[in-house]
Amino acid sequence: MTQYLSYRMKQSKILLLVVIALLPLILVSCVPGGAQVAMGWSGTAVHDGIIYAGTLDGRVVAINSSTRNLEWSYSITPVTTPSSGLSCGQTLAPTAIYCTPVVDRDMVYIGTYSGQLLAFNMLARSQNLTFPQQRYGEWEWDCPIDNAKSNAIVADLLVSEDAIYVSSSNGRVYSLDKEFGDLNWESKVLDEKHRKLWTSPVIQGDILYVGTFDGHVYALSLETGELSDWAFESEAGFASSPVIDVDTIFLGSFDRYLYAVKIGSDVPMWKFPQEKPAGNWFWASPIVNEGTVYAGCLDGKFYAIEAKTEGKLWEFDAGNPIVSSPVLMDNLLIVTDESGIVYVFDLSAELEDEAVPLKTISVGADVRSPFCAQEGLVYIQGDDNQLYVVDIDMGEVSWKVNLTIEE
Amino acid sequence: MSFLDVWYLIIGNPVLNVLIALSHLLSGSFGLAIIALTIIVRLISWPLTKRQLNSSKALQDMQPKIQELQKKYGKNQQKLQQEMMKLYKEAGVNPLGCLWPMLVQLPIWIALYQAIMRALATTPENLLDLAQRLYSWEIVNQAIPLSSKFLWLDLGQPDPYLILAIIVGGTMWVQQKMTQAPTVDPRQQSTQRMMTLMMPLMFGFLTLMFPSGLALYWAVSNIIGIITQYFVTGGWGYLKFRSPFQSTPEKGR
Repeated sequence: MTQYLSYRMKQSKILLLVVIALLPLILVSCVPGGAQVAMGWSGTAVHDGIIYAGTLDGRVVAINSSTRNLEWSYSITPVTTPSSGLSCGQTLAPTAIYCTPVVDRDMVYIGTYSGQLLAFNMLARSQNLTFPQQRYGEWEWDCPIDNAKSNAIVADLLVSEDAIYVSSSNGRVYSLDKEFGDLNWESKVLDEKHRKLWTSPVIQGDILYVGTFDGHVYALSLETGELSDWAFESEAGFASSPVIDVDTIFLGSFDRYLYAVKIGSDVPMWKFPQEKPAGNWFWASPIVNEGTVYAGCLDGKFYAIEAKTEGKLWEFDAGNPIVSSPVLMDNLLIVTDESGIVYVFDLSAELEDEAVPLKTISVGADVRSPFCAQEGLVYIQGDDNQLYVVDIDMGEVSWKVNLTIEE
Repeated sequence: MSFLDVWYLIIGNPVLNVLIALSHLLSGSFGLAIIALTIIVRLISWPLTKRQLNSSKALQDMQPKIQELQKKYGKNQQKLQQEMMKLYKEAGVNPLGCLWPMLVQLPIWIALYQAIMRALATTPENLLDLAQRLYSWEIVNQAIPLSSKFLWLDLGQPDPYLILAIIVGGTMWVQQKMTQAPTVDPRQQSTQRMMTLMMPLMFGFLTLMFPSGLALYWAVSNIIGIITQYFVTGGWGYLKFRSPFQSTPEKGR
């Protein structure tokens, strides 16, 4: 009996030792939530019948919307990522792309999570020439890490007549020459605390406005990048990229309010909702059209608000988080939610307090990326790396293409 | 409702939100929030810790009797085990009791690991995911997004220097030495030596691989353990400032 007890005691001691030794392994292996993998959610752009998108496998693709064939594709150099937890060494992963491609004349610009800004020439790419072809005006620019943790480009690029403006995860905004990719200027670090600029700047006149995670809206000189005297300060950080209508900036905040800030003013013109905060963040950038602000919230609600008075015109409850910004196509307002449902609202019709969409179309995949709409078609990239083309008139997915290109 | 849903509802999300709320209360310092949470966890688990410390103290008090038994039955291992078991039983002491608080803390470790990774939201996906896990408390929403900087550390990344690894390993070794009663049994000695060395070395090694926020929790938790141990058992216990590589004087008798 004693021998048995002694044996059991030793056994349980060994078992406990093994369990304790394995605990950290359990932490990494079995526990969801520890993953820090950037997958990307690039938006789509359409120009002259060609659809441009960044894919989840780290490519920039151009697809002919008539033939539905791949015109060209460029594979961005994969990144080496340090393994997390107990696994040793490094792994090679596709470069994540959060930027929506910007088409300007015969060039396509895109930023990557690996901190590169790439300027593609459509002709050079369709001939599959080595990148970059300087004679075609192609260039690439590496964002400096600059003592920050990352130089990732997450926010959409802003392209003006002769320059490109980039928000970087090192906390700075950069202005690059559009033709050669030369650096025009770099701003000071705008968010020392987080060092993350994940929202795009916006231009009004000769000033560039940018919102930060530490709750500031800064005004920078378009020519020099120097900060102007005015800056707006809020207690909570700003989650969405700002949009400007005349002299008012609209942007969503982490404190669950949508802010309207008059340029030059230290206090917000209004905060929406008035009574109590919304159910979640206003993550997607709002859009402004004819005095009405259209804003989606991560609590699943979508609002139409009078820009001057903050009066709520109507609202719609999608029931799922609204991650992407809405898009206007003529008199139609297109809204998607995270579950991949496309809602179409007819703005020419009288919408009730609780608006009812004209059409509801499911793409059949989760959607977090920005989308675009043109000539009755909506171009959406799903989280399944497929491009969905939704025909509004037909009220269904017209066609789709898998963006994962097999070697 | 899946197991994961229940997990997040009961442990994962409360830990995450409390951590973020603490961060806001402590001037936006996520590092201080982790320290405060560690103290709270130790306070909550105090009854268990106290039981363990009392057990440890009882073991310490029993040492003369144990040594007597070891002298008496040193050559008869079976009898020695039998007598020692009897002694433990009479005193109501569980020699493995010190391991239970560690096991009880496992869900907290997992929740904290998740909370650190989620709260710091190093990727856009993480930040978006975080939105769905936050309570509607004003204090929480005003704290987001968090800064991962604390002293020389980036709390979402492993400490690039050895400092935290040495602190975690060192404090764990001290804590273990304070509670482990010496033995004359050569086999037990070797197990004990292995445990005393293996655990600090392993946690020190893990500190170099896991987010330093989690290692900060381990370090603070160990330090609190040492302090409470010191005051409850009234001293440094079995800790004698000898090298762990040095064999015990009883060895080879």
